[in-house]
Amino acid sequence: MLRLALKSLLAHKLRFAFTALAIVLGVAFVVSAFVTADSLRSTFDDLAADINTGTDFTVRGALPFGDITQANPPPVDDSLLDDIRAVAGVQSAEGGFFVDGVIPVDGSGESPTTLGGPRAGTNWTADPTLSQYFLIDGEWPQGPAQFAVDVVTFADYDFELGRDYQVVTPIGPRTFTLTGTMQFGFPENAGIGAVFSVFDTPTAQQVLGLEGKFNQIAVRAEPAADIPQVQDRITAVLPAGTEVITSEEAAEEFGDAFESFIGPFQTILLVFAFIVLFVSAFIISNTFNIVLGQRVRELSLLRALGATPRQVRRTVLIESLVIGATAAAAGIGLGMLGALGLEALLSAFGASLPDGPLPLRARTVAWAFAVGVGFTVVASLVPAAKASRISPVAGLGEQSGDDGGHGRLWRVIAGAGLAAAGLILIGRGLFADFDSTTAQLLSLGIGAAVVFVAVAVLSPLIAGPTVAALARPLPWILRTPGRLARDNAARSPRRTAATAVALTIGLALVAMVLVVGQSLKDTFSESLSDAVAADYVISTDTFSGVPETLAADLRSAGAAAAVPLDEYPAQVLSPVAPGRIDDAELTVTDLDAIDEVANLGVIDGNLDGLDPMSALLVASDTADDWGLEVGDEVSVNLTSGETLVVTVGAVFAQTRPPFWDEWIIDESLHRQTAGADRFDQWVAVNVDGDDPQASRALLDEVLSAYPQATLEDRQEFQASLESNLNTLLALVNVFLLFALVVALVGIVNTLTLSVFERTHEIGLLRAVGMTRRQLRRSIRWEAAAISLYGALVGVVLGLGFGVALSVAIPDDAIDRVSVPSGQIIGLVVVAVAFGLLAAVFPSYRAGRLNVLEAIAAD
Amino acid sequence: MTSSPTQALAVAAQAVAASKIYGSGDTEVRALDAIDVGFEQGRFTAIMGPSGSGKSTLMHCMAGLDSVTSGQVIIGDTDLTTLSEKDLTLLRRDNVGFVFQAYNLVPTLTAIENITLPMDLAGSKGDTAWVDEVVGATGLTDRVKHRPNELSGGQQQRVAVARALAGKPQIIFADEPTGNVDSNTAAEILGFMRSAVDQMGQTIVMVTHDPVAASYADRVVFLVDGKIVDELADPTPQGIRDHMTQLGA
Repeated sequence: MLRLALKSLLAHKLRFAFTALAIVLGVAFVVSAFVTADSLRSTFDDLAADINTGTDFTVRGALPFGDITQANPPPVDDSLLDDIRAVAGVQSAEGGFFVDGVIPVDGSGESPTTLGGPRAGTNWTADPTLSQYFLIDGEWPQGPAQFAVDVVTFADYDFELGRDYQVVTPIGPRTFTLTGTMQFGFPENAGIGAVFSVFDTPTAQQVLGLEGKFNQIAVRAEPAADIPQVQDRITAVLPAGTEVITSEEAAEEFGDAFESFIGPFQTILLVFAFIVLFVSAFIISNTFNIVLGQRVRELSLLRALGATPRQVRRTVLIESLVIGATAAAAGIGLGMLGALGLEALLSAFGASLPDGPLPLRARTVAWAFAVGVGFTVVASLVPAAKASRISPVAGLGEQSGDDGGHGRLWRVIAGAGLAAAGLILIGRGLFADFDSTTAQLLSLGIGAAVVFVAVAVLSPLIAGPTVAALARPLPWILRTPGRLARDNAARSPRRTAATAVALTIGLALVAMVLVVGQSLKDTFSESLSDAVAADYVISTDTFSGVPETLAADLRSAGAAAAVPLDEYPAQVLSPVAPGRIDDAELTVTDLDAIDEVANLGVIDGNLDGLDPMSALLVASDTADDWGLEVGDEVSVNLTSGETLVVTVGAVFAQTRPPFWDEWIIDESLHRQTAGADRFDQWVAVNVDGDDPQASRALLDEVLSAYPQATLEDRQEFQASLESNLNTLLALVNVFLLFALVVALVGIVNTLTLSVFERTHEIGLLRAVGMTRRQLRRSIRWEAAAISLYGALVGVVLGLGFGVALSVAIPDDAIDRVSVPSGQIIGLVVVAVAFGLLAAVFPSYRAGRLNVLEAIAAD
Repeated sequence: MTSSPTQALAVAAQAVAASKIYGSGDTEVRALDAIDVGFEQGRFTAIMGPSGSGKSTLMHCMAGLDSVTSGQVIIGDTDLTTLSEKDLTLLRRDNVGFVFQAYNLVPTLTAIENITLPMDLAGSKGDTAWVDEVVGATGLTDRVKHRPNELSGGQQQRVAVARALAGKPQIIFADEPTGNVDSNTAAEILGFMRSAVDQMGQTIVMVTHDPVAASYADRVVFLVDGKIVDELADPTPQGIRDHMTQLGA
C-alpha cells in the first residue's frame, strides 16, 4: 500500500505540489515565528550576560507591589554606597544611573532617534567592569559641564569631540562639552538601539534630578567570597525599602521582562500561522475529495482486485502523511527564509540581531512536523473514509463529478449543531467572566474556527443557486463564455463551497478587523473631541515623557495654560470599601488648571478651592462601585513604598484613556514623593490671542529646545493617533493576507483539477469553435464567481464577528459599531481580483490542451 | 468495380498530396501518404479502413483539428495549411460541423443551447428559422430544454448532428458517430444524417468501420496504410464487406 501511495503521488507531481503548497506556507509561518523569537531571545541572553559580567549583586529600591516589568524601582540613597563598600567580602561597588529621556542635540540641531530603545542619561564609574561602559575615544567627562556619547550615536550624527552641545535633561536643556565616546558592553552589543549620554556621578545626580540618590548600586564580591554569605551581609546593612539581588536573579528578571515582550510577539505570529494552517486544511480536504472523485475508477479496480476498504483508506492516509511530511520539511526551509526576512525588517527598524546561523531548535522542528502532518492527515480523514466506501464496481462507466444533494439532512443537522456550538463558544468568550485573557481568546478563537467549519458544512447547500444568482450577469456581458463560467461555477456545489471557504475565512477575519478598527477609531475620535478642550497637545514617543520643565517654559513664554498629564502605577484603598484594593494607574496633573484644557465633567464636588496637597478626583463609575463620596478618605500606595492619604474632592464623569484614568491627584503632591520622576507624558496647551500662526510660532520656539516633544493641534493629534491605529490594522491585514494567498492556492488547485476533469468537454468546445481566448475567459470568470461567493459569505460572517466584538468590548474603548463600507466593498473587489489571478495558470493550461487528445480523453 | 468520377459536382473539401508523418528516420510513420481526395458538395462520403489506416487522421486534418506535414487541405476556397491556430478555430466554428463518437455535448448546456453553441460562440444569432427546421428534423422539439444527461444516447447523437447542421457549415465531419450505440439507435442517427444530405443538401464525411453504417453513404473511400486504395459508389453492406475482404482488412 505504501508503494501504491508513493507511486500515485509521483504520478501527479503538480497536484502534489499544489496540495502541499498550502501547508508549506502555514508551516513556514510557524517556523518563522519560533526562529525569530528564539533569535531575539538569544540576543537578549547575550546582552543579559554582558550586563552582568563583573557584577555579582545589584542593590536597588524594592517595589512594594507590582513587578519590574511595569514599574521602575525607586532610587536608593547615595550614602548607602559607603556602607556597602564596607561590607566584608565586597571588593567593589559603584552607584549608577539609567534614566530614559535624556537627549543630546547634534551640531545640525538634530537629535538621535531610536525605535523603542532608550535614550538614556547615565554616569561613568572608576570601575568600568561594574557598569560595562568602556571609553573608546577622548576622556571621560569631569565636572558639571562635560559629557560623553556612545560611539554609534557619535558616528551616525554630527558630533565632534571638544565642542559644546545641548543635552535635554529632566531638569531642562543644558549645554555640555563633548569629551569622549564610549560603548556599552562588548562590541557586538554596542548598538542595541540605544543612545547614551554619560556624565560624571555628581553631574548625573544633578541633571537627572536625583540629588543624593542612585538608581542602583552594582556590587562585586571578592573572588573567593561565598556569594550567599555576602548577600546576607549586604542585606543586613540595607534600610527598609531596598533589596539586593544576585546577578543570576537580575539576568532572570531581565529575561522575564524581555519575554513579556517577545512572548506575545511569538504568540501573535503563531496565531496567524494557525489561521493559515486552518485555511490550508480546507484546501487539502477539498483537493483530496476532488482527486478521489477522479480516481474512483482506479480505486474501485483496487477493490475489485481484492484490496480491503481498510487498505484503500490507508493508501489515502499514507499519501496525506507523505504530503504533510514533505510540506513540513519544505516549510522549515521557507520558514528560515521568512525568519531572515523578519530579521531584516527588525534590523531596518533599529533592532540589531546577532549574526550567524538562525537558531533552529528541536522544538521548532517538532512543531513544524506536528502541525504539517497533523493538519494534512486530519484534513484527509473524511476523504479517506469516503474512498474506503467506493464499491468494486463503482468505476464501471461512472462519470466523475459530485453533487451537493447527498446527505442533505445530515449536512443541515451537523452544520446547525456546529454553528450553535461555535456561537455558544464565541458568546461565552465575549460575555462570560474569564480568569485569564488567554482562556477568553481561546474560547473566541475556537468558537470562530467551529463556526467556519459549520459554514463549510452548510455552504454546499446554498452554493449552487447562490453562485448561479451572483453570476447571473456573466452570460449577458460575456455571452457563451460567461454562460459556461456561471454554469461551471454552480456545477458542483460542494466543490465550489469548499474552494470558497478558504477565501471566506480570510475575508471574514479581515472584515472583522476593519469593523472593529473603524469602531475603535470613531469611538476614540469622539471621545477625544469630547474630552480634550486644549488648543494643542504635546506628546512624545519616549517612554519617560517630556521633561517637566517644558510646561513651565511654555507658561513663561506666554501660553494661557500648559497642563501636564502623567501616570504612575499605584494601589488604591479606602476605609469606605474595606478589603478592596485597586491596582490602578494614578493620573497626576495640575488640578488647578485641568478644567481649562479638559472636559472632566465634574458631577459631584467642585474643582475650585481644592487643596492640591490632599485632594483626589475619582471617576463616577468607580465612585459608585466603591461607594465613595466627596469627603471620603482614600489611601494611595506608590511604588516608592510611600502612602498618600487623600480625600475625595470631586467625582468626574468618565475615564479618558490615554489622558486620564479613574484616580487623579495633583502634581505638587506627587512631586514630594521619592518615586516621582521629572517627566510628563502629555502636556495640554491653550494659547491666547486671535492669531493662530503667531501663537504656534511662540510654542514652536519653546519646543525647539525639546526635540523629543511633538506639538500638534487637536486635528493633527487625532490624525496622528488614527494613523498609528491604521498602521497597526494594516499590519494585521498584511498577515491575514497570507491566509488569502493560501485561499488563492486553493482556487488554483480546484480549477486545475476541474480543467483536468473537463478535458474532453474542453476539447469538444475547442473543436466546435471556441477560441482559446474565450476558453480562458470562461475559466477566469468561473474563478471570479467562486471568489465572489466566498467573499460575500466571508464579509457577512466578518461583519457579524466585527459587530459582536465591537458590542462586547467595554464602552470606554468601543462604544459604537461603525462599518467602513467603502473598505468592505473594496475587499470584495480584491477577492474577485484574486479569483481572476488564481485562474491565470489553470486557464493557460486549458488553452494549451491539444484539441484531439482532449476529445479522446474520457 | 471502379469508382465513377464526379467532376460534375463542386468540391466542398479536398486534400492535395496531403501527408502526415510522425517521427523520423527508422521510427517514421506515414499516417497519410500523399493523399489526393475530394469530397463533393451535397454528398455523403464514408471513409473506411482497418485500424491504423489513417482514416481518423485524414478526417482530423481535413477538419482543421490537426495539421498535415506536407501537401494542402482546402475547405471551400481556403487552404487550411496557411491558417493560424486562431483562424483555424474560427474556420471550424463557422464552416465545419462535427459529430464525435460520444459525449458530443456540453453537459451544463441544454439540447438547444448545445445546438446553437457554435453560433453563440461566434456571437451571431444564426438563422433561427433554419435552426427551428433542424430541430424539427431531429424530432426532439419537445425535449430541447433538456440537458444531455436527460436524453438517450441516440437522442444525444441526433442533437450533435443538429448542432453540426445548425450553422450551415460547408462540410460536416462525423467520427464513428454510431460507434457507441446499438444498431437501432445507429439506424436512427444514420437515417437522420442521410436525410440531412438528401433534404438539406448538406455535405457529410463520416469515418466508420461498420459496413452497415457506411452503406448509408453515397460513396465509400477505402484507406490502407495512409493511402486511398479504392472507392465504391452507391454501396451496399454486402458490397462493402466484399471489398474489405479483398483489401485484406
